[in-house]
Amino acid sequence: MDLTRREFLKSSAATATATAAGITVPAAALAKSKQADAGVQWDKSVCRFCGTGCGIMVATKGGRIVATKGDPDAPVNRGLNCIKGYFNGKIQYGKDRLTRPLMRMTDGEFDKQGKFQPVSWERAFDEMEKQFKKTYQDMGPHGVAVFGSGQYTIPEGYVMAKLMKAGFRSNNIDPNARHCMASAVVGFIQTFGIDEPAGNYDDIEHTDTVVTWGANMAECHPILWARVSDRRLGNDNVKLVNLTTISNQTSDIADLEIVFKPGTDLAIQNYILREIVKNDAVNHDFVNKHCVFSTGPYDIGYGMRGTSKYAFDAEKDIQAKELVVTLDADEAVAQRRKPGEKVKQNNTKKPVKHWLITYEEFKRGVEPYTLDFVAELSKGDPDEDLAAYKQKLQELAKLYMDKNRKLVSYWTMGFNQHYRGSWVNEQNYAIHLLLGKQAQPGNGAFSLTGQPSACGTAREVGTFAHRLPADLVVFNPKHRAFSEGLWKLPANTLNPKVGSHITKIMRDLEDGSVKWAWVQVNNPFQATANANHWLKAARKMDNFLVVSDPYPTVSAKVADLILPTAMIFEKWGLYGNAERRTQAWRQQVNPPGEAMGDVWQGLEFAKRFKLKEVWGEQAVPGLKAGGFEDGKLPDVLAEAQKMGYSPDDTLYDVLFANKENRKVKWPDKSVAKGHGNHIAEKLDDGWFPEKALFNEYRQFGVGHAHDLAEFDVYYRDDVRGLKWPVVDGKETQWRFNEKYDSYCAKGSGFDFYGKALKALPSGDLDKVTTPDKTSLAHKAKIFFRPYAAPPEQPDKNYDLWFSTGRVLEHWHTGTMTRRVPELHRAVPTALLYMNPDDAKARGIQRNDVVWIESRRGKIKAVVETRGRNRPVKGYTFAAFFDEGVFVNKVCLDVTCPMSKEEDFKKAAIKVYKA
Amino acid sequence: MNSHAKISRRNFFARVGQGAALAASGGLVWLYLLKQQVRASPYAIRPPGARDEPDFHARCIKCGQCVDACPYDTLALATADAGIPIGTPYFVPRNVPCYMCEDIPCVRACPTGALDPALDNIDDARMGLAVIDIENCLSWQGLRCEICFRECPVQSEAITVEHHPRRLSKHAMFVPLVHSNACTGCGICEQACPTQKAAIRVLPPELVQGQIGDHYRLGWTVDTPITRDFNAGGGATGADTPATGLDYLNEGPL
Repeated sequence: MDLTRREFLKSSAATATATAAGITVPAAALAKSKQADAGVQWDKSVCRFCGTGCGIMVATKGGRIVATKGDPDAPVNRGLNCIKGYFNGKIQYGKDRLTRPLMRMTDGEFDKQGKFQPVSWERAFDEMEKQFKKTYQDMGPHGVAVFGSGQYTIPEGYVMAKLMKAGFRSNNIDPNARHCMASAVVGFIQTFGIDEPAGNYDDIEHTDTVVTWGANMAECHPILWARVSDRRLGNDNVKLVNLTTISNQTSDIADLEIVFKPGTDLAIQNYILREIVKNDAVNHDFVNKHCVFSTGPYDIGYGMRGTSKYAFDAEKDIQAKELVVTLDADEAVAQRRKPGEKVKQNNTKKPVKHWLITYEEFKRGVEPYTLDFVAELSKGDPDEDLAAYKQKLQELAKLYMDKNRKLVSYWTMGFNQHYRGSWVNEQNYAIHLLLGKQAQPGNGAFSLTGQPSACGTAREVGTFAHRLPADLVVFNPKHRAFSEGLWKLPANTLNPKVGSHITKIMRDLEDGSVKWAWVQVNNPFQATANANHWLKAARKMDNFLVVSDPYPTVSAKVADLILPTAMIFEKWGLYGNAERRTQAWRQQVNPPGEAMGDVWQGLEFAKRFKLKEVWGEQAVPGLKAGGFEDGKLPDVLAEAQKMGYSPDDTLYDVLFANKENRKVKWPDKSVAKGHGNHIAEKLDDGWFPEKALFNEYRQFGVGHAHDLAEFDVYYRDDVRGLKWPVVDGKETQWRFNEKYDSYCAKGSGFDFYGKALKALPSGDLDKVTTPDKTSLAHKAKIFFRPYAAPPEQPDKNYDLWFSTGRVLEHWHTGTMTRRVPELHRAVPTALLYMNPDDAKARGIQRNDVVWIESRRGKIKAVVETRGRNRPVKGYTFAAFFDEGVFVNKVCLDVTCPMSKEEDFKKAAIKVYKA
Repeated sequence: MNSHAKISRRNFFARVGQGAALAASGGLVWLYLLKQQVRASPYAIRPPGARDEPDFHARCIKCGQCVDACPYDTLALATADAGIPIGTPYFVPRNVPCYMCEDIPCVRACPTGALDPALDNIDDARMGLAVIDIENCLSWQGLRCEICFRECPVQSEAITVEHHPRRLSKHAMFVPLVHSNACTGCGICEQACPTQKAAIRVLPPELVQGQIGDHYRLGWTVDTPITRDFNAGGGATGADTPATGLDYLNEGPL
């Protein structure tokens, strides 16, 4: 019997009600529920959006996604979704979905000034290849670049990283994840010697206290926030604290809200550290056994260019701070110097260097951060009573120090997108380590992630300008040798020179040092701060820009060639979420028109290069490394021939469809279950690229504390992702804790076994005094990092703070969510949230259209003085999803000098009626 | 209480009005009445088994036999001032609710099928849907009321009580929830609600009910085992599809 939709809804509502009320559902009603979707085929998958990594089930019928639901078996979300996740089934079906390659043409030829016209894939690749080879020959491997993504699937990231690094010998590949969690990575590597969190989401159910720092979890990690809220409800012992610069939905359920001035989070952290020291709340046993103290230089600049040559006139005063900083009164106290002192920024090139200090030196470092000093410096709301604010800071410190309290600190973009992003990350670890509240159920500092595979792909696969898979780095000769071994490359094929980070690729396009770039799975021309520079660079400079995307984006609009690209359920893939959980899905439907997956695009492009074109001698200006001639990569063709390669072999044959990988057959008999694979079918080479490449990739991590399971394991019906390291088939819940992590030494209790940066010189707060290196194997570092003022702050002319960020309803630049009519109807445009008094003082009413102007550009937006974000006086906020309100034209491209992640949170603007 | 007498009186006038309308049915008045029906009828709470409004109006001859059959004088025929098409049967739950007779005499009495004779179980009736004003519902404030829940003839199905934490004190709240799959719209809850104005009201479902998109299933309501033998066929549009996105890409400023 066919059920009508009405009956279906009725019967599903019945089961829901019954479940909620704890009543047994009559068998007949259940049977009716099951029948409702007769004829649709269900499969497990993952939500396309944020780093939470919710599991979903996807239903297809007749080659179309007809429904999705939250996966009740997924431990992350237990059947729930947020309102973005609710629309997974609709994102592939926007009306303007790109279906044909499009190229700028005039009279049948490529023309940078021409209009886009449809071309064949063959024609598209011909031009791409021609332009690539021209630039490669003229400028070498670092004349080309790839804008990668934290939304790459693992195989996609792997194909592009390997093609660029092993094939083209270029490290100019960097993901938009740089804008998302690069500061978190520096924090992890410097503190623990290994990337990614110790804990997992189950900390929420184990803890008593959740402190959010610069993370509006209620909107940006909605399902996790539902778990936190559940922990809080009806449990008055559980406390939630929200530290923020703008009162938001996360504050709504918080027991304590602390609104602080942008950048002063560093001072608050140092106040907490000082309180811990003063009250002797230090867990001495933990610290003595497992930690050391460290610091680094302060004069590291702000990640801007060292020259004003490319700056607009209005930008030059801020740019000058990259060279010399005049300390303000607060910085002088915080850094134990004199106000007005001019400090030359001597360590802009080596901001990451650091050395050991004693506990006594550490104490001397935090000494100036008294309650009085920090409260006056950090109080965000001019109208808040100082005494009341002080009390809040004291309460916060007490919560941290309470020995009977478990505590988790969460943060995201407020910390990571910060001119001292790496430092604020490190200071949270410092607090937790000093208290011994780390790497235990319910105790830990946990960096939340923005993108669905920022961890799984960008970080673990290593699609960064300095990384190789599994935490290896290009500038380490042993790491290169290991990778060359695994990849079967001649020695010194890999380039030791770190490539350009994503903001630098933009700058390279502007100054002409990159002339060919390929954008994949991201929209950097909308998502990069100070966008006016980059839009102009794309269109006015002599360069060739390729954009792969399913939809026409801002980046596509400034491109020269657009490649129509398959979306999530149109391909096989794996993502890794913020709690180290690797999750997989199968292709459910075919892509529309001629759209093709990114894996195929990478492999097809690889077919067009012979070894002799890339593995000969290559010029890399500025290259300086042991075993290399300055400025050059050696010719490795002779060595390659000894290894059995011919100079006429293609990169496709050598790097991808090699003998080993071709053994992994498509059609697949083990996990495909009848599902298609448009990439394997189009290649028609009889191999299964995603599976072969994943299994090749996982060898990097096995035995190195990055163990992933075999490809097929993730596709088992009973698996809903696994948290790495997966050892003997078992995932790891809490790393560095002997009870849970098999990599810990026996009897250690805790073991911070990460290997990076584990031998350091020693010194005092200001400098190295003993250059000899001390080993600190198995230990974590507690850093001292001083408060430094934001380079751009409101002044007479630009008199308001401006921050950008997200809303729950939209994902990133809105490429997908703005194509869902319901989401667009709900939140059609980005509003400028401002304080009602600030609006009034400028003669602005709610719903007025205003100009938002900074040193870098101006945009129009509608003012909102009510609603979800409630800025205190002097602060404003607008989300970045809306290309119509192009906030990145206003934002400042300052970065954390260590992580190179942009600070999207602290620009100075003025607002006036349009 | 004299509501019984009042309703009877109204009843009388209603029939007079109906007679007049029929007598004068030279077209214009009838048309006026039909228009009035279209405008006003969404708010009417009808007897059990009443068909969807347009269908109901097409069949109801305003004969009043359902009203006569109702043993509780719940039903009345609308007068001109009722805000409901004149002469049609309706009821006001706050005055007299439907007591859900097992033999459904009103439906049996209907000569035209305006009240669907297929209704043989009163639990399947959908006269309306109870809606709670949680701002004024005492139980939602934490008071131990839940009268609606206890009075509900479809108790624990149409109205359930959930236990919510109450952050203002150490007491749980017993909050009533209505479930449309079981609520008949009888109005006993509305009639019984102890607040000055009822905090639970019966309304026509189409005025208040939303609908989850066809593209989504609530994860925990349907079993969806992973398909073993997937059929990948269909859906491919292949080559030579028209190019899209060109207007946006080629026109307009950056």
